[in-house]
Amino acid sequence: MMEKILLKTEAADIEAYIKAGGYQALRKALAMKSEDVTAEVKKSNLRGRGGAGFPTGLKWSFIPKANTKPRYLVCNADESEPGTFKDRELILKNPHLLIEGLAIASYAIGAKQCYIYIRGEFAKETGLLSDCVNEASKRGYLGNNILSSGFDLNIAVHRGAGAYICGEETALLESIEGKRGLPRLKPPFPAVVGLFGCPTVINNVETLASVPAIIEKGGDWYSKLGAGKSAGTKLFSVSGPVKKPGVYEIELGMPFKKFLEDYAGGMLEGSKLKAVIPGGSSVPVLTAAEALKMNLDYESVQQAGSMLGSGGIIILDDKACMVETLLVLAKFYHHESCGQCTPCREGGGWIEKLLRKLEAGKGKEGDIALIYSIAENMLARTLCPLGDALAMPVMSFITKFRPEFEAHAAGNGCGKREAGSGKSTQ
Amino acid sequence: MPKITIDGKTIDLPAGATILQAAQALGIYIPRYCYHPALSVSGTCRMCAVEVDKAPKLQIACATEIADGMIARTDTAAVKKARKDVLEFLLANHPVDCPICDQAGECSLQDYYMDYGLHKSRVAPEDKIQRSKHRAAGRYLVLDNERCILCTRCVRFCDEVTKTNELTVSGRSDASFIDIREGKSLDNDYSLNIAELCPVGAFTSRDFRFKQRVWFLKRIKSVCTGCAAGCNIEVHYNENTVYRLMPSPNPETNTWLCDRGRMTYKALQAGDRLRKAFVKKGSMEIEPAIRHAAHLLDEAARKTGPESVVVLGSPYLSIEDNLALAELAATSLKTSNLCLDFPREQGVKDGILINKDDAPDANGLKLLKARYAGLDQGALIELINSGRIKLIVAEARALSSLKEKLRELSNIETVILAVTKSDLDFESACVLPYAANFETEGHFVNYKGLLQKTTPSVAAPDGVKPLWTVLSKLSSCTGAPIRLEDAAELRERISEFIK
Amino acid sequence: MSYKISEKTRAKIDELRKIYPQKEAVLIPALHEMQKEAGWVSEDAIDALSACLGLPYARVKGVVTFYTMFNRAPVGKYHLQVCRNISCHSMGAPRILSHLKEKLRIAEGETTEDGLFTLSTVECLGSCGTAPVIAVNEKYHENMSVEKTDMLLRELGLQQ
Repeated sequence: MMEKILLKTEAADIEAYIKAGGYQALRKALAMKSEDVTAEVKKSNLRGRGGAGFPTGLKWSFIPKANTKPRYLVCNADESEPGTFKDRELILKNPHLLIEGLAIASYAIGAKQCYIYIRGEFAKETGLLSDCVNEASKRGYLGNNILSSGFDLNIAVHRGAGAYICGEETALLESIEGKRGLPRLKPPFPAVVGLFGCPTVINNVETLASVPAIIEKGGDWYSKLGAGKSAGTKLFSVSGPVKKPGVYEIELGMPFKKFLEDYAGGMLEGSKLKAVIPGGSSVPVLTAAEALKMNLDYESVQQAGSMLGSGGIIILDDKACMVETLLVLAKFYHHESCGQCTPCREGGGWIEKLLRKLEAGKGKEGDIALIYSIAENMLARTLCPLGDALAMPVMSFITKFRPEFEAHAAGNGCGKREAGSGKSTQ
Repeated sequence: MPKITIDGKTIDLPAGATILQAAQALGIYIPRYCYHPALSVSGTCRMCAVEVDKAPKLQIACATEIADGMIARTDTAAVKKARKDVLEFLLANHPVDCPICDQAGECSLQDYYMDYGLHKSRVAPEDKIQRSKHRAAGRYLVLDNERCILCTRCVRFCDEVTKTNELTVSGRSDASFIDIREGKSLDNDYSLNIAELCPVGAFTSRDFRFKQRVWFLKRIKSVCTGCAAGCNIEVHYNENTVYRLMPSPNPETNTWLCDRGRMTYKALQAGDRLRKAFVKKGSMEIEPAIRHAAHLLDEAARKTGPESVVVLGSPYLSIEDNLALAELAATSLKTSNLCLDFPREQGVKDGILINKDDAPDANGLKLLKARYAGLDQGALIELINSGRIKLIVAEARALSSLKEKLRELSNIETVILAVTKSDLDFESACVLPYAANFETEGHFVNYKGLLQKTTPSVAAPDGVKPLWTVLSKLSSCTGAPIRLEDAAELRERISEFIK
Repeated sequence: MSYKISEKTRAKIDELRKIYPQKEAVLIPALHEMQKEAGWVSEDAIDALSACLGLPYARVKGVVTFYTMFNRAPVGKYHLQVCRNISCHSMGAPRILSHLKEKLRIAEGETTEDGLFTLSTVECLGSCGTAPVIAVNEKYHENMSVEKTDMLLRELGLQQ
């Protein structure tokens, strides 16, 4: 039986949440020493669910003990990576689980103020979270002297305003501070110099929502879920031409094939699996054959040649033109580059223009090699990972689907201009 | 102290130093655009990437702090390729309009392209982004967004140094551009530093544009005499014409140079430069005018006694020139009415450079006062009010506080020493021109007490001589010469003040 | 023409200030409030806000132009924002977009003459499981099709 943690209850209503055992983990945590809470999370092997997969307990332990400045917990709810929509689902279905997780994490790191940075387009979700924070405060789960423990915590919901880059944690901090969302140089890391110059932990929504169960049932219990180093359960967002697109919680390690069939409901009638982008649009694309061999855990996806990332699984079928699909992504990363560092600022637009010509059958000999080379020159050269986020799809699309690119270069297109469901008129 | 090895050379530097600083100390040059030693580190141009042992990727030298035992390399194939690639990206949307760009010759894009790039363009011309071409950005600046590489030095300068915040980057991605409020201009007191900070031809100086290709310029270090700050400067000149002044950074004085200071050279070229003497509003050759001045002095002394003549020193003049004035009074005219007392309020006015005292040498004048004593300001005023004074010899600006008084007392005549007509807002019996600070060596003591000297870069107009020479000639005509015939004599005489 | 921030918005901004230890942090929430009031952020609004918050104009301008949700020109009563990213694209967003252009007789970025509709494309709205998605002002319309788009337009008052 698959264990469910994140979407076990579906209760936007605090009464129902409490009835189902909600806020008991917070009570338990507040009776523990804060360092024991962190130790429990370390033991669980929980890894950041935003995309990077960094061990959560370890991240918390980087807060310098001797630093007397205020500490902040920031929840990254700037879900903007194409193909990823799990945090929204979690917020809509189980907001108090997130708030409970925030309270426990804040207690563990000694934060008295927490900010939820939610993307600006999530207006409904912003309202819902604000209401839930108010309700939780009214009942003494937030505010001063929480559950008579002496621990104080305020949570503020801070709305973004339309910038993918603010999902990068230091750009997010800049954005809360009221600035352009430009990623910062690291070091110093946010744990030392973070929000308003103070020690700060930034965790993804799903990561924080995983914490109450770990406190309730123990880090050992959690670490045994899933597959080896990929402990626990994870939300996977699946989109594209499948019968049941949506968000599903599974234990890590499930074969992708099983997930596709049993959860996503298989491909739509008349659609054949062609390619899979397994971790949000910025990770390398996999061919159907590669994808069907992998399991959904950090190590297995990496072995298959990509990354688990945010768990945003984008399915592409045989009607998808890979040149056109890559053009959509290139346009996105070009548009979302913050513009501060050279390779990303100049490379994105250049690649987009070349792809646009190639897709329209106006490419020149050597354009494919040029596009690949530009991506290669961006890779590992930028201040933040956004450069890689374009470079990796470009390089993998070209490597794995070269004949399609060559057919476009030869002016033959791919024959999908009419057949494809999504031929852009732009 | 951490020890770092770069390209096989090792150095110890205090913790917190960066690889770029260590390389600099080792004499290894690492190319850079966004980095500037006097501004915060932005780390965005990516030009300074170097290889660091055990690091999986190239590290940017400007932002990577050294660690003990660190080994870095700046000369590997990977580093060279990274530089070439950054250049390719920077040039991708650049108009490459060097033939009509005034930055040519001192453009980091050009220079680095020659050193590290030399690639064939892979960008189709139709793929280049066209941005706005030049627009006036301020009194002294032109902005060409198309040439901008978004290093943001200019933005950081206005945020961090002048704290005037005129600039921002607007937009994002490759639609980013340096933006100024519509209808507003960038007119802070240090705006020309931006033209200099800009590593490419985006911000250029309206004053210097198209006047001279930079490779023709000769450079010589000197001192700005625009105020008491004593900023060190580099005079850029060619064929007896000064084209611009730049700061010559000195930790004791200045990193930057204010716009007013940069414009001090204009006195040389302006139509109001005095090339001839004036006697009763009429132009006259200098030599006869000196004789005429001597005659005025002799007359006054003969009619009303030497004590009816007053000689003023000036905080605007070099130690040399003030010495000559003091000697004129003491040796030649034998009047005790010498005033070297010009109390000035000093101190940095704006927290950056500009001094409350716009005179460069009030402190040099104090050295002379210690030696020659003379009247203080109060006594001077009293003396003038007494009606016993018939003639005043003074540098034009030193008279400014007495102007009103002298207009009232129309029976006092003056011999005025001046460089430009605009310094002369007072009618005078005789005006004698002299060489400007760019044309002669002179010592000045800044507000902190630092003794420095100007270096001549261009020659004075025909017949125009340093003030001490003018005064020496004047004294010879009066029959009691002060004997400052040549530089050797001058040096000897001022040696006690410039120890 | 000068922009005056309403008392109501000013009070909201003062309330928001309490959430942050630094005054600059209120900038983005304050811009949301200003846009709520005026529908867009004009140069005059930037001046008014920079005066209200004691921030340089350039600081505010840089922020306004960085975030795509701040409209730099007036928009129609209904701002139709069609997601153009990967999952919406493969599930039919381009067809919906061209249908909208045809129906409204405007191009992307334009507003209908009656001021009712502005049409934009936007990047991923984070709702790929219900692609294609159109956001109308702040409300998501999910699992869209050409037929559902027509219904939506009628509901919003498009005169045929």
